[in-house]
Amino acid sequence: MAETPKARDFFESSRAAVGDHELRRKLENASARHLDHFAQVKAEFPAYDDERDAAHRIKTDAIAHLDELLIELASKLEARGCKVFFAEDAAEARDYIVKLAKGHGAKNVVKGKSMTTEEIELNGALERAGIDAVETDLGEYIVQLRGERPSHIITPAIHLSKEDIGQLFTDKFGIEYTAEPEKLTAEARSRLRAIFLNADFGVTGVNFAIAETGTLVIVENEGNGRLSSTMPETFVAVMGIEKVIPRLEDLSHFLEILARTASGQKLTTYTSFITGPRREGELDGPGEMHVVILDNGRSSMIADPVLREALNCIRCGACLNVCPIYRRIGGHAYRSVYPGPIGSIISPNLFGGAAGYLPFASTLCGACKDICPVKIDIPRILLHLRWKESAGERPPKWPRAIERARRGARRFAKMARHPRTVRALGELAAMVLKPFAHNGYLRRMPGPFGNWTKYRDFPRPRPHKRPAPGRERPPG
Amino acid sequence: MADVHKIIASVKDALGVGARSDSHAEAASATVPVAQSAHRAALVSTFARELEEVGGKFLGILTLAEVTNRIVTLAGEIGAKTVALGQGVMSDMDAIGEALERADFRIVRTIPVADTERAAMRERVANADLGIAEADFAIASTGTIAVVSTGDRPSSLTLLPPASLAIVQIDRVMANLAAVLAELGPAGVAANRLTLITGPSRTADIEKRIVLGVHGPKSIHVIVVWPRDD
Repeated sequence: MAETPKARDFFESSRAAVGDHELRRKLENASARHLDHFAQVKAEFPAYDDERDAAHRIKTDAIAHLDELLIELASKLEARGCKVFFAEDAAEARDYIVKLAKGHGAKNVVKGKSMTTEEIELNGALERAGIDAVETDLGEYIVQLRGERPSHIITPAIHLSKEDIGQLFTDKFGIEYTAEPEKLTAEARSRLRAIFLNADFGVTGVNFAIAETGTLVIVENEGNGRLSSTMPETFVAVMGIEKVIPRLEDLSHFLEILARTASGQKLTTYTSFITGPRREGELDGPGEMHVVILDNGRSSMIADPVLREALNCIRCGACLNVCPIYRRIGGHAYRSVYPGPIGSIISPNLFGGAAGYLPFASTLCGACKDICPVKIDIPRILLHLRWKESAGERPPKWPRAIERARRGARRFAKMARHPRTVRALGELAAMVLKPFAHNGYLRRMPGPFGNWTKYRDFPRPRPHKRPAPGRERPPG
Repeated sequence: MADVHKIIASVKDALGVGARSDSHAEAASATVPVAQSAHRAALVSTFARELEEVGGKFLGILTLAEVTNRIVTLAGEIGAKTVALGQGVMSDMDAIGEALERADFRIVRTIPVADTERAAMRERVANADLGIAEADFAIASTGTIAVVSTGDRPSSLTLLPPASLAIVQIDRVMANLAAVLAELGPAGVAANRLTLITGPSRTADIEKRIVLGVHGPKSIHVIVVWPRDD
């Protein structure tokens, strides 16, 4: 990681993001559209829940046999003519690819959309070696032009309006300003097409790797993954160790749910099955194909039986769209490559605890668990990580504060046994605090209570009202 | 592969191998059944509906003789000057190519090429206005066509030209994805590059607004071929 973000940075960036009403509007818009489409395709596909169960089962089982599957996959890939490289961490994967590109004298590197190459920060490493890598997914292309990171796993430029992008194209290309998505897309198409036809080195991610056949499956809508994997003479696919599934027949279960949950489509526009480099006489495909299989903390996640489940993730991005936190702060505020609920689990574990604050950036509402196509129990894992972070394997950070809190709680417990005292104190608080409230809420409170109002408002205590006769308790 | 043993070993350690079940062999096979026996006409009509829903155009069920005429008409309708086409699976693409030539369209025929000629051939395909390829299968439930790439039927045909036309035999229209993968089998999938194509190339990266033709074709047309001319 170029930076190791701290909890304090996160507080600042999320506070700033919450105040950005324009960002909020874009996120809410995009999320609402996504959920609409999803609800529709789900309703039309009665087998959805069966497929989810099948996918969950296959993935859980695949992780439980990952060592065997990796051996099988590597040997099948090699039998098909691929070069396989196992990278223990991000640096090893980066170095391998940079060295390869340099060794081949690569001039035009094209990249298909890949979160794994974001994870290993490949672009920066290529740049330092004097090699320009062009992101070719439209959203990635846009954020790369802005010098930013993607803010969503599948919609990288979700934080930008069409006007932002129009201005960007005017600034970078000197073309006449337009905010029409059709025109902006056509401009990007013609620029990227020229780059593709001259590309000599391509890099993409992988959605699924089939151990049985040594086939890599790449799922996308634009065609840039197809172009990145067919045009250049040298092609490198980068995948995490958890992408492997045992058999071809397992695949349809994932494909039937991935696009539905990710984008509300039944199937993405393109699904490419790549088995080895170009055959004799063929027009398309690389002459040389490499597969980089990345660990980078994943095997240590397997060692934790609770955390292991997070490796089932197929990167659909749906948990971001339903998350009340993501929808208010967007992807950049998390300050990690993988944002949102699933990002809060995998980021700290892939980046060596540098983002240990992330599991706390959740209300544990469970919307992510409900929508997850492979049924990952995200809230449970977040709680587990909180426990590990705060109490797990080390002495408490603030022993005196904890002791004080305990004493306070005991005193409150004693007092709470006397309803009259509670009522009297309540009336008193209501009276004293009334002048300080705005619209029924206290924005700031004195002393230790100030810790509460630092991040949220406190509802003003109200004077006790005698219930109307016969309505002692609220109905229900 | 210097580090393979190290990584496999750490995965193995992490799994605590020995305690796990042997369910691997059958764990995945309890699956949604492959639908096979639906009526052809019903499958084709589902396919047509789904194709149109993703922005593709269904040109009908035609006999081979009609197919040729329809393709010539289509090439004229979209204002094509150059048409790229490869060899078919079942259909006679040569006849289609000749008919197009008679109608004054320039033809690019994709044939197996030596490495030195690849760039030039690719340029020609990229500059064609329409690419024609026979699909190996169609998937009714999603409006998808499945194309296996070969030397004379390259992936470029369905990717580089701005308009794409696929023809598919009626008995190759399958109910769902699982049926197509089962039909191809592991050996069939591994033999060549396989591409599933569901509608025109699209993006929703700018304010989630759908725009077609970002990298691949902006329009995709499909003809289902009725095998007999009688």
